[in-house]
Amino acid sequence: MLHKSFIRRQITRSGRQALVFVLCVTLSIVTIVALDGFGSSVNEAVLKDAKSLNGGDIIVHSHQPLSPGLSRALRSWEDQESLRSVRAYGFYSVVRVPGEDRSLLATLKVVEPGYPLYGSVELQSGRRFEDVLVQGKIVVERSLLDRLSVRMGDAIHVGSATLTISDVVTREPDRPVSLFSFGPRVFVSSQDLEALDLIRKGSRIQYDALLKVHDPDNLERIAQDLRDHALQGQERVETYRTARSRIKRFFDNFLFFLTLISIFTLLLAGIGIQSVLAAFLKEKERTVAIMKTLGATSRFVAVQFVTVLGVLGLLGTLAGLALGALLQAWLPGLFRGLIPSSVQPSLSWRMAIDGFILGILVVVLFTYLPLDDLKQLKPVAIFRSESARARRGWRAALTILAVMLAFLGLIVRRSLHDFEIGMWFVLGVAAFILAAALMAQAVLWALKRARIRSLTFRQALRGLFRPRNATRAIMITLTASLSIIFSITLVEKNIDASFVQSFPPDTPNVFFLDIQPAQLQEFKEALGRPAEYYPVVRGSISRIAGEDVDVEVERRSRGDNLAREFNLTYRDHLLGDESLVEGASLFRPDWEGLQVSVLDTVLDMRPVEVGDMIAFKIQGVPMEARVSSIRARRGELIQPFFYFVFQELALRDAPQTIFTALRVDSGEISALQNRMVKRFPNVSVIDVTQAVSTLTGVMVKLSGITRFFTVFSVLAGILIIISSVLATRHARIQEAVYFKILGARNGFVLKVFTLENVLLGLVSALLALGFSQTATWLISSRLFDIPFRPFLLSSLSMLMATVSLVTLVGLISSWSILRQKPAAFLREQTEE
Amino acid sequence: MNILEATHLTKTYTIGDREIDVLKDVSLAVPEGEFLVVQGNSGSGKTTLLSILSGLDKPTQGRVFIEGRDITDLGEDEIAPLRNEIIGFVFQSFHLVPSLTVLENVMFPAELRRDPLAGDKARALLERVGMQDRLLSFPHQLSGGEKQRAALCRALVNAPRIIFADEPTGNLDSTNGKAILELLLGLREEHGTTLILVTHSGQIARMADRTILLRDGTINGESPHAP
Repeated sequence: MLHKSFIRRQITRSGRQALVFVLCVTLSIVTIVALDGFGSSVNEAVLKDAKSLNGGDIIVHSHQPLSPGLSRALRSWEDQESLRSVRAYGFYSVVRVPGEDRSLLATLKVVEPGYPLYGSVELQSGRRFEDVLVQGKIVVERSLLDRLSVRMGDAIHVGSATLTISDVVTREPDRPVSLFSFGPRVFVSSQDLEALDLIRKGSRIQYDALLKVHDPDNLERIAQDLRDHALQGQERVETYRTARSRIKRFFDNFLFFLTLISIFTLLLAGIGIQSVLAAFLKEKERTVAIMKTLGATSRFVAVQFVTVLGVLGLLGTLAGLALGALLQAWLPGLFRGLIPSSVQPSLSWRMAIDGFILGILVVVLFTYLPLDDLKQLKPVAIFRSESARARRGWRAALTILAVMLAFLGLIVRRSLHDFEIGMWFVLGVAAFILAAALMAQAVLWALKRARIRSLTFRQALRGLFRPRNATRAIMITLTASLSIIFSITLVEKNIDASFVQSFPPDTPNVFFLDIQPAQLQEFKEALGRPAEYYPVVRGSISRIAGEDVDVEVERRSRGDNLAREFNLTYRDHLLGDESLVEGASLFRPDWEGLQVSVLDTVLDMRPVEVGDMIAFKIQGVPMEARVSSIRARRGELIQPFFYFVFQELALRDAPQTIFTALRVDSGEISALQNRMVKRFPNVSVIDVTQAVSTLTGVMVKLSGITRFFTVFSVLAGILIIISSVLATRHARIQEAVYFKILGARNGFVLKVFTLENVLLGLVSALLALGFSQTATWLISSRLFDIPFRPFLLSSLSMLMATVSLVTLVGLISSWSILRQKPAAFLREQTEE
Repeated sequence: MNILEATHLTKTYTIGDREIDVLKDVSLAVPEGEFLVVQGNSGSGKTTLLSILSGLDKPTQGRVFIEGRDITDLGEDEIAPLRNEIIGFVFQSFHLVPSLTVLENVMFPAELRRDPLAGDKARALLERVGMQDRLLSFPHQLSGGEKQRAALCRALVNAPRIIFADEPTGNLDSTNGKAILELLLGLREEHGTTLILVTHSGQIARMADRTILLRDGTINGESPHAP
């Protein structure tokens, strides 16, 4: 039975506290809704056209020229006119300005006429790609012109050929962003492939055959036939339905990560919802007690307040949907540079319904406990609040916990497709929040016992323990949210300091790749300085420690996987930063047969022990080797390393390239690069500092986006502060009035309230700094293996910013309290 | 017939780490229709006794019977109908629901039992106490006397058989207090309601059929008054 007047007035008269509750509900869902919509928009604009994105109906990938069997199968289908194919070759190479000392690592794509099969390559001139990319001509990305200071019509050396720049590419169908490139794009016609002279045995080339199937019904049949002829582990045949482009993987992973942050915000906003609701319902306790005194059952009371909260929750949900849609419209700007400019925000009914259901789940989850508390309230509360609650038994407590976990699970299931990771994340966050709660409790315990002489300070401290002051909830929420923001900032600074500002002194900063074995001696002489040379043989794994490698299963894992191709090498010694963790020596002299030393990183993908067998495929040739040792690395991050190291005997005659990595003074890099590439056009040169700078730029962008989303969780803490002030308004006014009656000036009252907020902000920020410094130390030393710097000045700035924010919010919320006149208050107190 | 009986009531509160015996082995019986006053100084346990007799609170030991039914161990939802239909309350602090109008406050107990005549009964009672012009006012818009008159009407709307009044004139000036008391007693006479009233006022106590004196949680005296 609904008492409509009562419900209506509970909603309209609750004023600010109800508003804060609505805002907490809004906050809990706004980022998830925005990301949901944004993810759909990205998929819509970029990834929906899977054919264009992947380059064809069927895509054949390989790092080697296609095997004879596969080539024959392909030709057979072509002869039957079942499909049309276009070949594309992708690799890095250094391009040079003739007669000048200017060169640049570029991302080359050599394509046959007919490319692209789907979509179009858009050019600055507006001309057709197939008309522009002819023999002798190249089409380049704008940044190449800028970085080499050349113009359209200029000629540049590409490998052994000299080609003319004929146009600028503005959009590629299968490369919507250039996020993962170390160099600007250069399109070359396949008619110039031979002239480039860059494709040598063992060269790092991506060989693609892009196929357009004439009859879609034949797609799977043709794809399966090609798979049957492909070399397992070396050649991959995918259809546009099954292929997962790097862009899609990147966005899937990044959006997954941001959704985790949004769930973190949801949990903190949930604390806010509970805290605000507890304060809101506390004010209603007397009303509820009166109603029960008059004969209302707990159920009756519950129905009224569930309806009130339902209406407020609905308002919050609708506001969350609206703001989420607005935020979604703003996200393309935030992600600029990471996504194509063509991404347009889109709204859909599905998104609205999903967001609506999420809002309901959030409201139910976080209002359950406070509402249950209300049910437990006894009517004697009108006389004594201490005996006003029935105690909850352990069965009831377990039931409540189970219900809450079930709802939380529903939220995670709805928001994340990887339920297992989502629940582990939620448990991790819960553990973190618990740790923050324990730390906050410990600090408050100590503060309560502190003996303070200053009256102002003492009163401010007492204020933290004012009944119904949500001090602990505020500290927990702020500590948790600020820890994340501080950690991101400090980790970014540490990485920046280690790699960008001052590159580690002993770390190689120039890599020379794709040196042919026949060139090695000449290369060494030309280089004229000592260096370690690493042979590289490409291979894949088909079986490891008795278990076959399931390509599909491996590819679905989020981290590294065994389905990819590996760079194998051979040598007879450990590198300077390696040590053995298992096995007496790199290889066992008493063993017969082929042996392989495995890097401990492999154990994260599959448990392996010394003595286990691993089956490799190298250029289609199967090879089994026994694990002779397990190595670990120590020292700087950017040193060449190999997961699998063989004896020289095993791979000496396999098709291979060689690379080396040196430390070169930054001022000499350019000259060295020009000199070596001029002599060895097939050799790729990577300036790591440039690459790191590029990556750092991306990392800064990504961490900026992450921080943006984490700020929403800080807002949860802010809302709890406001709610707490509202909940303790009467007590604060009473204090202020009593101070004034007893002779204190307004300034004293202001100081006490200000100091109370300063203490709140300071404790929260210090706890957050403690957590973030610890996390940064762990991440720097264990994950990135870089020196840890505490960045005290930055830490102090973050601390001051937090204290200022909390103080400002607390004071603004308390302003009207400070202005209350004693007489008016005392008069009100003589009435009910 | 006794409409209310209480046997060996004891109530202990735990405040912090202290245990406080507020009531110690109190027994009493109230015949139907009696006007009983429970008198005592502050802290004597009057309000606690009232809250236990009316089922608002549970005794630590002892039993309470209303109309022969043992209400001591009844759950909250089991005792709710009792509070709604058999018992009426008048409090010192009025305890009107702040967000309901006067009329809605008075109608509330009747609406709980889905009484189709709730509005009519409420209006009639309010008119009876001279509040017909204040039906749509909210509690904060009323004077103390008006609030208590509204509370009185609310207590009577379901024609309860027992009214518990806790210092009903405690927050009123003498004029209003006298008026409220006259109303309470007049309505009680009219309906034959049993009235159990807590007060520290000797003047009010002299109007009762019987007075029980509480001191330090025990009955320290009982004096029937001449009719």
